Amino acid sequence: MRPWLARMVTRLYPPRWRQRYGEEFEAMLELGPGDLGTLLDSVGSAVREHIFPTRGGSMERDPNSFGAVMRRPSAYLPVAMSLVCLVMVLGGIGVGLAQGGQIMRDKDEGSMAHIFQILMTVQMPIVLFFAVKWLRRAPRPALGVLALQAGAWLASCAPVYFLHL
Amino acid sequence: MGHYSDPPLLVLASLASGPKHGHAMIEDIARLCGSRLGPGTLYGAIARLEQQGWIEPLEPEERRRPYRITAAGLRVLRAKLTTLHQFTTAGLGRLEPL
Repeated sequence: MRPWLARMVTRLYPPRWRQRYGEEFEAMLELGPGDLGTLLDSVGSAVREHIFPTRGGSMERDPNSFGAVMRRPSAYLPVAMSLVCLVMVLGGIGVGLAQGGQIMRDKDEGSMAHIFQILMTVQMPIVLFFAVKWLRRAPRPALGVLALQAGAWLASCAPVYFLHL
Repeated sequence: MGHYSDPPLLVLASLASGPKHGHAMIEDIARLCGSRLGPGTLYGAIARLEQQGWIEPLEPEERRRPYRITAAGLRVLRAKLTTLHQFTTAGLGRLEPL
């Protein structure tokens, strides 16, 4: 189908539908034949979409929104790793305070310290992978996720730094 | 008669062999059962299936976006095809004596 005709047919759909499927639908129309059957099918479907609009599901969300990007493993894993570290550190502080009334400091680095170091280090290549992949595709949500990852990392390091653990 | 037409089921069956974008789905479905879905019909089915969580979009490839079937979609497809299989087996069984 000719591009101008594909664009016109796509414009028959409601704006919300076009926002979600418009570009890929138009690209598909351009690949296919511009015969009467295709036109009638597309126009009929556009009319149906106006009368019975598709609701819920991904129609409500942009695949490149902050929420959608945040659901990627490379986005949430570093945050989860930092939060695990934070819980470990705060848990250690809590246990120390409950048992001896003061923060316990190991002279030797124990297993918790090693787990902390591993989790905080292993997330670096994951964050780098996320930045390389997503900053180009969806800059604004990616920057938000990176800020969250950085915030979680700093929150985990803060008690260690300020309390000299 | 002659062509099977249940667009959502055809889309699920097409995606069972791997992720595809719209045009590839149309071609695959035409090979699979002889029905050539119109673009509007196809995207109507895609929107409903996505809404139900039976398929999900992947990252766009230029202007085209591939879709893949989800675990829930596979369960639905298996259940529907099993029902159809039972139906066709029973129907063909009734034809045998004729």
